[in-house]
Amino acid sequence: MESLPVTEPVLLILLSLAEQPRHGYAILRDVREMSEGRVVLSTGTLYGALRRLLDEGWIERVSEEDGSRGRQAYRLTARGSRNLQQEVHRLKQLTRVASLRVARKEI
Amino acid sequence: MFSVYRSLLYLYPSAHRREYGEEMTTVFLDAEADTRQKGILRTGRFWMREVQGLLSGALQEHVRSLLGSSSARVIFPRRPIMRSEFRFPKATATLMTIILAAVVMAIEKATAIVNSVPHGGPHVGPIQPAHFTLFPTLLLILTFGCVAGAVGWAIAFALHRSGVQRLADFSPSERQPAGR
Repeated sequence: MESLPVTEPVLLILLSLAEQPRHGYAILRDVREMSEGRVVLSTGTLYGALRRLLDEGWIERVSEEDGSRGRQAYRLTARGSRNLQQEVHRLKQLTRVASLRVARKEI
Repeated sequence: MFSVYRSLLYLYPSAHRREYGEEMTTVFLDAEADTRQKGILRTGRFWMREVQGLLSGALQEHVRSLLGSSSARVIFPRRPIMRSEFRFPKATATLMTIILAAVVMAIEKATAIVNSVPHGGPHVGPIQPAHFTLFPTLLLILTFGCVAGAVGWAIAFALHRSGVQRLADFSPSERQPAGR
């Protein structure tokens, strides 16, 4: 995993962009749906995270034909996609170990 | 409300505002229109979240622009947080605001009634002290509400940190020594 720490909101933003490029509001809605309403981002939090992800080269802007700055879409870069896969792999490993430990305690 | 949001955006560094201000405003307007259809409580929560997000975001961006992104990460490490199910009920703040508004309206109404009654009748003594004014009373109520809320939150937080809520699930029969 590269330098940027992946918090739950950042992970959800990356997962939202993994499916397809999205605008800011579409990301907000998708994050809320994926987390079943548990994570609701404000615009301040969202654009703080997007700015960091852009700086680190994990995401990039999609050039829009209409050129509207208010409806700017974002997508994962190859670097962001690779880092997301690593994070998902890490989480899988963690949940596997957690399941084993919990099951062992219940026996 | 929108003008308040635009004003809060000026708390951000100008470079960030130029880069993301228009996008943030568009997303905010979409989100607000969506939330407004879901009732006043949701709208209140939405506003609290937005104000909090803007204030903390602006602070982080200023720290970043002054010290660089690596220093900002030291101050705002953004480590994964293991949150429990315990949350301070944000609806309480909304409820307290509504109660405060009701109290203010009642005081205003009472003042209007007192002023409308002719003062020709017999004087039965002062109902209110001479130094009574609206502003100090409101300030007192607001201060009392804030102090009571802070004390209540502190008690709830201390109880939660002590783990006392787990006692509700404690069963003595399951805690017998292994040898028995």
